[in-house]
Amino acid sequence: MNRIDIQRGLADVTDEEVRRLCEFVYRKTGMIFAEEKRYYINRRLAERMAATESTSFQVYFATLRADADNEIEHLINSFTVNETYFYREDHQFRCLTSTLLEVIAPKKRAGEPVRIWSVPCSTGEEPYSIAIWLLENWDKVDRYEIEIVGSDIDTTALRAAETGIYSERALMRLSQDLIARYFTRLDDGRYRILPDLSDTIQFTRANIVDAAQTGAHRNFDVIFCRNILMYFDDTSRRLAAENLYESLRPGGFMCLGHTESMSRITSLFDVCRFSDAIVYRRPLGDPHG
Amino acid sequence: MPLKKRESSHAPEGRAPEPVEVVVGELRHPDPERRWSAARRLGERPGAAAALAAALPGEADPRILEAIFTSLIRLGGEESAPFLLPLLRSDEAALRLGAIEALEAMPAALAAHIEGLLQDPDSDVRIFAVELTRKMPAEQALALLCRMLDREDHPNVCAAAVDVLAEIGSADAAPCLDRCRARFAGQAFLTFAITQALDGLSRTAT
Amino acid sequence: MDETVAKSRVLVIDDSAMVRRYIRDALERSRFEVQEAFNGVEAMERVLSTRFDLLVVDVNMPKMDGYAFLHALRGREGELATIPALMTSTEAGPQDMAAAYAAGANYYLVKPVSQDDLIRYANALTGHSP
Repeated sequence: MNRIDIQRGLADVTDEEVRRLCEFVYRKTGMIFAEEKRYYINRRLAERMAATESTSFQVYFATLRADADNEIEHLINSFTVNETYFYREDHQFRCLTSTLLEVIAPKKRAGEPVRIWSVPCSTGEEPYSIAIWLLENWDKVDRYEIEIVGSDIDTTALRAAETGIYSERALMRLSQDLIARYFTRLDDGRYRILPDLSDTIQFTRANIVDAAQTGAHRNFDVIFCRNILMYFDDTSRRLAAENLYESLRPGGFMCLGHTESMSRITSLFDVCRFSDAIVYRRPLGDPHG
Repeated sequence: MPLKKRESSHAPEGRAPEPVEVVVGELRHPDPERRWSAARRLGERPGAAAALAAALPGEADPRILEAIFTSLIRLGGEESAPFLLPLLRSDEAALRLGAIEALEAMPAALAAHIEGLLQDPDSDVRIFAVELTRKMPAEQALALLCRMLDREDHPNVCAAAVDVLAEIGSADAAPCLDRCRARFAGQAFLTFAITQALDGLSRTAT
Repeated sequence: MDETVAKSRVLVIDDSAMVRRYIRDALERSRFEVQEAFNGVEAMERVLSTRFDLLVVDVNMPKMDGYAFLHALRGREGELATIPALMTSTEAGPQDMAAAYAAGANYYLVKPVSQDDLIRYANALTGHSP
């Protein structure tokens, strides 16, 4: 029997099966899907059942529970829009300037830099966004030395980040004014970030699961590690969380993607809620506290 | 432009590995940072599981406990499982739970022990053992849990098994769930849980 | 029932989906609005985002257990430190209860918990008349 209605792209599954799927995803990741999202979930489920050639929900769910061929990653990927563009999830950048830097900066000694790590940085949209956001929105930006590091495991992506050429689509959240001031329009219609800006960001290769590699990235005040941990298996994300903890200064902050939570990964960090975001903090000083 | 360019990073220093006894000694250092660092480094030193496990009962800092468990996971089930299994009986909640999470990451090493754990005289150990079956292949977990349900006297252990069986969602579990519900007719939570689970199974297409 | 009376909001913290469903089932029939969390870390994220009148907290949960969660919560400033907490556990020993009260529980119920008991203690801890 064909369990997938090809016309409508829907899986022939019962409400109970969708509920079981949602409960499993919640247990694994903390992601919650409301009842009204059922149709959306059903479509993604139909796609994944087709891709895995599952003849029934039961067959598919067994594949998912066993995480065969990283099916958990594939399913979560299908739920989330993993596009990278400038000013993505900018509520966290707002939180950075309205709160996090206001906590961090006053403790800096003269000449001591504020250090921000964007990892994984993919083709550079996030670290450049942070730089532009700070220049535009932090009134104390001239008073501090700011070091922004972008890291990724993928050296092709890193080369693209250093080159800094983007399609118009990647710039969709930026105003014409910002585009005019930070980019040069190329003949082919794409945009290149100003060399003055790309020179301020250091791009390095790093795999966050590898302690030796993250060990070369230390003393950060803020880490943006968005939309990556949720794809890792339990052991890798646990190890990654410890590596990132070590890369933060005591009292430093970590931002995850807005659908992500540390709750299935670790209790190393203190949970902080600021007006714009949930942020995780490496405790200050004595870790017994 | 106020954002400062930073010089390219220093290469990671290549140095000879320090003697493992030195790192093990650091597990008892008064400075928590040193203990944390030692716990982390020992995850890359095969043979260190005994020393890591020995440091667990005296460690009060939950963050260092977490790092020790992570390192035990990294050393692998074959080496670490024998040190983790006894912790399921610990009086310390943090050690019990840390051990369960670590054991969940090593299903192969666990396979030889799970049957015995499900028959342990301590009902709490049986509950933890049920939790560990979540990571096993569905058919195997189903067979183990159904067999256990038919002999299990403790409602909390049965309840834990019902939770896992509801997740697996196989109609093959229905008869043993029925029998369990009949045996524990006076237990409100278990009756509720089994009724919910059976209801779910009946609304699952086969 | 007087519909104008505001509902009390409860956060049920337990890693068992079935236990959360059972507690939700009881409390929703008795003028409580229920939200759920899987463990102590998620519970902390929730209580920092939403105001709750009562917490029902399991002891054994992965990543952050009930003791560690309550201990961290009671160390916070402001209202969070005083939200009433009903702790539930499969462990019935006196040392387990002592640990629960030391962590900041207001009451301790040994599992399996009956729905009547849940409602009775939830009412008592939130000042509802039954």
